[in-house]
Amino acid sequence: MKKTLGATVLLGASALALTACGGGSGDEEGVVDYWLWDANQLPAYQQCAEDFNASQEDVTVKVTQTGWDDYWSKITNGMAAGTAPDVFTDHLSKYPDFVKTEQLLSLDELDADTSIYNEGLADLWVGQDGSRYGLPKDWDTVALFYNKEMVADAGLTEDDMANLDWNPDDGGSYEKVIARLTVDKNGVRGDEAGFDKDNVAVYGLGLNSSGEGMGQTEWSFLTATLGWTHTDQNPWGTHYNYDQPEFQETFEWWASLADKGYMPPLETTIGASMADNFGAGKNAINTNGSWMIGQYAGYEGIDLGIAPTPVGPSGERASMFNGLADSIWAGAENPEGSLAWVEYLASTACQDVVAGHAVVFPAITSSSELAAQAFAEKGVDVSAFTTHVDDGTTFLFPIAENAAKVVGIMKPASDAVLTGDSPASSFDDANDQVNALFE
Amino acid sequence: MSETRALVTGSRRRPRRFSPRQIVPWTLLVLAIAVSVLPFYWVLRTALSTNGALAANSASLLPADVNIGSFLRVFGLQSPAEALAEGGSGASINFWIYLRNSAIFATVTTASAVFFSSMAAYAFSRLRWRGRDKVFGLFLATVLVPPIFTALPNFLLVRNLGLLNTMTGLVLPFLFMTPFAIFFMRQFFLSMSREVEEAAMLDGARHWRIFFQIVLPNAAAPLATLALLTFMTQWNEYFWPLLVASDDSTRVLTVGLGVFKSQSPQGAPDWSGLMAATLVSALPVLILFAIFGKRIVNSIGFNGTK
Amino acid sequence: MATTTIVVGRARAHRDGGARLRRDRSDFKVALFFIAPAFVGLIAFYVFPTLRGLYLSFTEYSILGSPEWVGTDNYERLFADPLFWNALVVTLQYVFINIVLQTTLALGLALLMHRVARSTFIRGMLLMPYLMANVIAALLWFWMLDYNIGIVNQIIDWLGMPRVAFFGSQEWAIPTQAVINTWRHMGYVALLIFAGLQSIPNTVYEAASLDGANPFQQFSRITLPLLRPVLALVLILTMTGSFQVFDTVAVTTQGGPVNASRVLQYYIWQKAFAEQEFGYGSAIAVILFLILAAVAFIQMRVLRGNESDLA
Repeated sequence: MKKTLGATVLLGASALALTACGGGSGDEEGVVDYWLWDANQLPAYQQCAEDFNASQEDVTVKVTQTGWDDYWSKITNGMAAGTAPDVFTDHLSKYPDFVKTEQLLSLDELDADTSIYNEGLADLWVGQDGSRYGLPKDWDTVALFYNKEMVADAGLTEDDMANLDWNPDDGGSYEKVIARLTVDKNGVRGDEAGFDKDNVAVYGLGLNSSGEGMGQTEWSFLTATLGWTHTDQNPWGTHYNYDQPEFQETFEWWASLADKGYMPPLETTIGASMADNFGAGKNAINTNGSWMIGQYAGYEGIDLGIAPTPVGPSGERASMFNGLADSIWAGAENPEGSLAWVEYLASTACQDVVAGHAVVFPAITSSSELAAQAFAEKGVDVSAFTTHVDDGTTFLFPIAENAAKVVGIMKPASDAVLTGDSPASSFDDANDQVNALFE
Repeated sequence: MSETRALVTGSRRRPRRFSPRQIVPWTLLVLAIAVSVLPFYWVLRTALSTNGALAANSASLLPADVNIGSFLRVFGLQSPAEALAEGGSGASINFWIYLRNSAIFATVTTASAVFFSSMAAYAFSRLRWRGRDKVFGLFLATVLVPPIFTALPNFLLVRNLGLLNTMTGLVLPFLFMTPFAIFFMRQFFLSMSREVEEAAMLDGARHWRIFFQIVLPNAAAPLATLALLTFMTQWNEYFWPLLVASDDSTRVLTVGLGVFKSQSPQGAPDWSGLMAATLVSALPVLILFAIFGKRIVNSIGFNGTK
Repeated sequence: MATTTIVVGRARAHRDGGARLRRDRSDFKVALFFIAPAFVGLIAFYVFPTLRGLYLSFTEYSILGSPEWVGTDNYERLFADPLFWNALVVTLQYVFINIVLQTTLALGLALLMHRVARSTFIRGMLLMPYLMANVIAALLWFWMLDYNIGIVNQIIDWLGMPRVAFFGSQEWAIPTQAVINTWRHMGYVALLIFAGLQSIPNTVYEAASLDGANPFQQFSRITLPLLRPVLALVLILTMTGSFQVFDTVAVTTQGGPVNASRVLQYYIWQKAFAEQEFGYGSAIAVILFLILAAVAFIQMRVLRGNESDLA
């Protein structure tokens, strides 16, 4: 009896002891583990890895893909347990917290020439301490995906769609077109008499979510034309501006579209995605990002058109500019090999390969031109996305700490205003809560 | 209203003619079956559709643009290019290896946990010792522990033992017991007749022999039920294998088929692939039930002395 | 102290749960042997992590750093946090709907299985929803119940009724989750109750009907009371399971719309993993644990699940 008890205690104690001490992850010699989440890009990066492995003998790169939902929890748990990958695709909303907890290796050693990248992208990945933590791999912007057939039926031309304008007071031609494309169950259009806003068959503008504070594809391309920025400075702002009238008026205008029946009520959009509803012919225009091109182009029976975002009171268009980069984990077993791989990923050798697959726009200027061509060969005109880069009308994705907490506050607040539960002035209170995080 | 009487008394001597009195219970039963089974039709229908056509044909009850590509994707028989073209993810799937790993994982953990739990249940029901009910209470309390507490420490423990990406590490937390199994078997042991046991003890048999030669055989039916339910739960286990068994050689089916869920934020799941994967991964359990089902569902109530 | 004795068949009831012949000698040594493996599992994989979680609830911890002791700060913050109370209310709503629905339906199904459905095949069909993993079931229903392109709303439309935003409206979000959970589990729970039904001897019913009891009296005075230990087991398990709902919410509504489905377990996950406040999340989890313990304790007392009226 005592023996069994003793054995149990011993096992328990040793378990405790073992947990306290660290341990290696058991990497083999010269292997660099690389993780990414987008399965659509997997073939391109596998090609890059093969090319890289063939070009030298010291390092072998192993590519693993894990879906977005599981990706970050595996990485975080891996970092805590010492089994995180050597190199991984990083995201602007996650990397500030990784920097804060010292989980990333600085890339300063590479002394990379950042002039080859599209302007602004490289700056996003420099931490507050001045060290570089990522080299840009791709970029995306926002545009209007629309149903060409519905536009033609409404008596509009593609030219009309390509030259929309907007203002927060009456919505400009943007709102007019949206109203025109909205059709109720009796066939009455949104701008005709007798339009029944409670019985809509096709909505002019689709709704994805309330924007959760970022509004990347929902409203940020409108607020930017009023000169509004999310934070006091970017990157590394510490004060958010949700209390400013430019933001609140834009949001109010946008929410009014649902009241008028041109945009679906928020509660009906939980479930199938806005894109799927587009594919089902339930809405005419979707404001979405360039990473969705493949999906929109894949819907059977839909003739896809892409138009640039409307011109605003500033006289110009706007689009949020986002970009991914690859980061190295601070605990990587093979830092030299990892650096070499990251350098390769950020060079034309790899980015041209990625361009050829026509899934995303690589960060290097010359490579992204190749990508535009590859898209054209697939029958998709991506000029609506590239115009922002060409004309310099992009603004950066807000980089700040506490990203997840900001979303945690802004998502319910935005949902409430969009559904009409709260007035736009309730954003003042939310803004206070957000700014309190930075004190 | 003798049909209700028969319903609640469980009298087995009623003749089973279809009579008007049986209509109400039969209707209810048909309704219950319909609700349980019809969504599987929807699974099949979606599995046989093409992803790009699903949205446009949302009002149709038949598959949209019939196509068995989804099943090919599940078995890893489509090339990445074909898979991507059909809205799939292009990630590789080693179906048969994942199946083998799931089978090993579920079988080993079920057999082990049920066995050890039965042993513990025997101690809690048939043996007398001080503090018995308090310790039982402690075991019961484990049902209440929120999973957030156990996930990370268990992961750290397995990693520190050097058992990551091994089958040993994968099965470890589940090998020793499940609280439900202990609770369940204790109830049944308590209700068993003691006559044979007492006779055996009079003959000088020790507890170990009694357990193996008398108690366990008598509890065959509840053990089989418990084993089936535990197997089903283990078969569908997702988060732990995701953390611990990421290598292809140890990956289980649920994780492997996670490639059909949405791969990127705002992306859509590969619906037809996901539904096909659901059907295929449910198949082994269905087969198991077909083989052992009769024994379980028909003979749970046993009649004491044999 | 009376112990459980559900009598089966024609065996005699015993009051004492142990070996009558060895009253004077404790079975401690033997018991230890029988319990050892389960006990090891208990300590290593349940007790230790729980104690660690308890410790972490008094710290500030982000997983990637090291824990910093902050005393009772997390608990004070918790009681002042409106989202915590919201999570509690929302979870209670879910638990209530889920338990009532699941238990009554499962009980009814068990009765049907016992009496009407003789074939294993039919009984097996009722168990089919459990074949689907929780997350898959949630995704499937998420698709089928969609407002615009889900088949259920399509059918509602054909019937001429207004569509329902099952997951999108604040009133329907939690009930919908409860119904999906019931769909998946009712066959499973029914099987458990069915096992209990099988063990009630016919003799009792025969005696009762000889005495002139009508079917409903038999049900309420015989069936239900004799099912009590099984029902207690079922209720405790389904109740603790309901309090811990997470998977389905994470995959469908993610706490929305606004905060209508932000249940306790989801709020814990959000704080601990998404917002990197593992210490605070642990504190909420400790409170959840205490609530569950209290609920389980009350249930055991009220239902007297340890006893059986047959003894």
